[in-house]
Amino acid sequence: MNLLLSDDYLLQDYPEHITNTIRSGHSTCVRFNRRGDYLASGRVDGTVVIWDLETMGVARKLRGHSKNISSLSWSRCGRYLLSACQGWKAILWDLQDGKRYREVRFRAPVYGAELHPWNHHQFAAALFEEQPLLVDVTNEDDVRHVLPSVQKRTNTETDVALKEKQAKEDAKHMTTAIVYTASGDHLLAATTKGRLNIIDAKTREIIYSEKIAAGIITTLRLTESGKEILVNAQDRIIRTFHIPDLSSPDLDPDTIQIPLEHKFQDVVNRLSWNHVAFSSTGEYVAASTYNNHELYIWERGHGSLVRMLEGPKEEQGVIEWHPHKALLAACGLETGRINIWSVTSPQKWSALAPDFVEVEENVEYIEKEDEFDIHPHEEIQKRRLDQEDEDVDVLGVANGDDADGFRMPILYNLGESDSEEEFVNVSLGTLRRKSPGDEGDGEGTGEEKAPPKKPAARGRKKK
Amino acid sequence: MSELDSANGAPLAEPLSKRRRVSDDGVDSSRRRYGSPDDQRDSDSSPDPKSSLRRLSIRQGRPPSRSRSRSRSSGVKEDDEKRKRYRSRSPTSSRSRSRSRTPRSQRSRSRSRSYSRSQSPPSRSRSRSPRSESRSRSRSRSRTRFRSRTRSSSSRRSRRLSPSAPQPPPTAALSGQQGHRAQRKEQPLRPHYRRRLELRGHAAAVSQVRISPDGRWIASASADGTAKIWDANTGAYLNTLVGHMAGVSCLAWGPGSDTLATGSDDKAIRLWDRVTASPAHACGDGGGRGHNRTIAVSRIGSNRSGGTARGGKSGRGPLLGHHNYVYCLAFSPKGNILASGSYDEAVFLWDVRAGRLMRSLPAHSDPVSGIDFCRDGTLVVSCSTDGLIRVWDTSTGQCLRTIVHEDNPPVTNVCFSPNGRFVLAFSLDNSIRLWDYVSGSVKKTYQGHKNSSFSIGGGFGALRDTDAGGGEEKNNTPNNGINDNHKNTRTQAFVVSASEDGDIVLWDVKSKEIVQRISHAHDGVCFWVDVHGSTMVSAGKDAIIKVYRHTTKATGKGKGKGKGKGGRKKEDKARILDGVNGNGLDGHAEESSITPLPAPADDAPQPQAHAKPDEDSPDRVVKEEVEE
Repeated sequence: MNLLLSDDYLLQDYPEHITNTIRSGHSTCVRFNRRGDYLASGRVDGTVVIWDLETMGVARKLRGHSKNISSLSWSRCGRYLLSACQGWKAILWDLQDGKRYREVRFRAPVYGAELHPWNHHQFAAALFEEQPLLVDVTNEDDVRHVLPSVQKRTNTETDVALKEKQAKEDAKHMTTAIVYTASGDHLLAATTKGRLNIIDAKTREIIYSEKIAAGIITTLRLTESGKEILVNAQDRIIRTFHIPDLSSPDLDPDTIQIPLEHKFQDVVNRLSWNHVAFSSTGEYVAASTYNNHELYIWERGHGSLVRMLEGPKEEQGVIEWHPHKALLAACGLETGRINIWSVTSPQKWSALAPDFVEVEENVEYIEKEDEFDIHPHEEIQKRRLDQEDEDVDVLGVANGDDADGFRMPILYNLGESDSEEEFVNVSLGTLRRKSPGDEGDGEGTGEEKAPPKKPAARGRKKK
Repeated sequence: MSELDSANGAPLAEPLSKRRRVSDDGVDSSRRRYGSPDDQRDSDSSPDPKSSLRRLSIRQGRPPSRSRSRSRSSGVKEDDEKRKRYRSRSPTSSRSRSRSRTPRSQRSRSRSRSYSRSQSPPSRSRSRSPRSESRSRSRSRSRTRFRSRTRSSSSRRSRRLSPSAPQPPPTAALSGQQGHRAQRKEQPLRPHYRRRLELRGHAAAVSQVRISPDGRWIASASADGTAKIWDANTGAYLNTLVGHMAGVSCLAWGPGSDTLATGSDDKAIRLWDRVTASPAHACGDGGGRGHNRTIAVSRIGSNRSGGTARGGKSGRGPLLGHHNYVYCLAFSPKGNILASGSYDEAVFLWDVRAGRLMRSLPAHSDPVSGIDFCRDGTLVVSCSTDGLIRVWDTSTGQCLRTIVHEDNPPVTNVCFSPNGRFVLAFSLDNSIRLWDYVSGSVKKTYQGHKNSSFSIGGGFGALRDTDAGGGEEKNNTPNNGINDNHKNTRTQAFVVSASEDGDIVLWDVKSKEIVQRISHAHDGVCFWVDVHGSTMVSAGKDAIIKVYRHTTKATGKGKGKGKGKGGRKKEDKARILDGVNGNGLDGHAEESSITPLPAPADDAPQPQAHAKPDEDSPDRVVKEEVEE
């Protein structure tokens, strides 16, 4: 609704400076929901915290993991959240009541688990030193299917030795990242050998495989449309590829091509990248740097670097771009704070009075012919009322405006819901039990003051 | 209620002004508002002492206040002569009074004190102000005087109006439109609300009454310092929310209908759990000890408002931070943000979960009199008696648009249209305007009610074909249940407003014509009306809450279902009558014929719903209708 009034679209569409810092424990990964009003963050202690971005406050805390959260994934409706941790399990949360909806245990730590884009009862998980799994949790007892990491050998040679060698090689070939395509019919998986596999979700077979990077691929990200993929690999190069429409009926697996679009790297500093993210439209690519404080933002059209975001003097880990705003969230590796970069539009003075106009230069005022004519009050009034013959619609809502949908209940007793014991680091090496409720000083949950050095950020918050 | 500022103790910088009473009623308003005290006394020469003793109203008794400052604004279509008179006077007096204590306003105050002493001792006794005796007392007294004056005059007026002149000027206009109406009579969607229940229990005027988003509950905020919850269907009294130390002037339902926020003259906002009637934040500290609690200063709060804004410890107490009476409240559609407007001229946005002040908007230069969220929660609209309507961006806190009418009348209430595309503003020139806030133009002006001194409430209502039966609501959506208009059903929107002569007026949104008028719904001023589907509820100075249901004329379904045949017949007859005479008359006839329910003693400690449980109420209703 505010889009009708604001000309924020005139603002640049990538974030400019840090505007908020929020903290609840030590966060290691974050994820926006599709609507962009909530941010889920996973903490090292296994707690998942849901942030309300409108209030920059905690909306919900989910406890069930005991180890570092490694990945988070929202369902399309925003009601379910899949969290995977290094403690060998994944939990599908129902945010209506904040309870576990399903819990799945694996035999290895989870790299990442992603929900099917349309069906929250299915997800794919990439496991440490194990083959990836496709898990169906429609029923209480989950059904798992092992997914391949290596394409089936077509040359069925008789040479036993060669076969054994191949088998050995294949055994070392692990999947490190797995994502669904936009339709959910296919999975894109990246391996330790730098290969990108396209897996048919129905047959669970690799229909296409190509080596796209020299090192281990650590991150795969798709744009919202699913037409571009972003690949971060340990060879210090970030690549973007076009993904063909895999769901088209006349798809021939043999003709699939994954054309490389861009390679982003810092050849001067030889930086490697911790984590990468597409902007909301896919127009920009952001990356956090290894052993460095800046965030890099490239523009995808020309492949040029447009901005290096400076933040706190801290290396940033996981980064996430807001689904429709110029807003970036990143986890500080050291402190576990979530830093948020955004753009702030200045207050328009013309909004403060109806007859204010912002002009670029002096304008000579030309008096209108009837400007100071005096009319009887009644007449003016009558004329005004007569002019109100327009047809107004106060009920009709433009299509695509989905105010309905899942609405997370508002909790008033977040302090009490922390009934489980929680220890906070008071100082180096000292732990203190957090008494429930003393949010204020205990855990330091909440929005933090921006560092005083950033006048812009403070100015915004004060408003 | 007005005494309450003194209860708060702290002397405030600006001249304290009281409640919705923005000027005096009706005809004399302008003159009184801006004239010197002597004038006021003259015009007041025959106050009804009895009425002045009765109850304190939240919305009135406002002494000369800043809100008046926009003098030229006020009464547009009132008695012209009077208006001229006041105009000649206004420029000086209004300004000086509004801004500061000039010698002149001092004088007026002192005078008013003496006056009030003689006039209404009981109200004086109510001002419990241990500290800051002198100042606040005098203030409250002056207010008292106003109160008594208003009461008397309004009661006078209503008396005058009801028997001798059943149809005030607006109704005349209405009868002029009868031709149209006869043609449109077939439309089943024409609102036809019938009085069904009468809820008594409040000890003082009811300032706001709102139906919960799911349509099942009614909450009322009263000058007696409490809010009460009622069952919208049966009228059963459910709970009283006790905790405020002063009159409650506003309330808002959370979108889930489980939470209520109330704002009071004790400057606090409280969140309540509907079911338990206890503060919504667990371990709430009752009694409003919040004032003494300066320890728990939340970080953010201290940042912004010099340490005074504190949301209680972890938000478990009341939401404190306003420097003056809290006057209007609105929940965001998600329920995570609460917007409040106050006499301290600021709009605050609260993080509801944490009970923390999120953002304070320096919104207006006069008390903020109304506030609302648009349906997607991205915009907040606020209005003030300074005549401005401002639209804010929730996320950035920036003002996106300011709307002012050329005449600059004080705006006392504002709400978004159900689709969020328009803003409905109630102003003290007896007009309600529908603004297109994008273009900044008035789309419609609704007139025919009386509104020149109180901030009265109203809003949008919508009737669907399926609502015809009245009674139970199937839609559980927020926004008054208006938004889930199904494709195949016809939905008709109307604007409803209370009126200072005790009426309730409904207009068609598009044609601006009055489609229903419920005459004399309340004794004295009717302060607030809220509609949810086929249920309408109103409240007024008489401390009574009334519930109405829409019934189609063709079939008397819904509540009337249990009626005997005879009742139905009579009812039909009555409706035919009503068709002949127009709704205004009809409503009036109905009203006058009803034998008043036995009123409880005014000091009855226990509130009681006089509406009987469901099975009984049809009988009562039958009785009412038979008597028509």
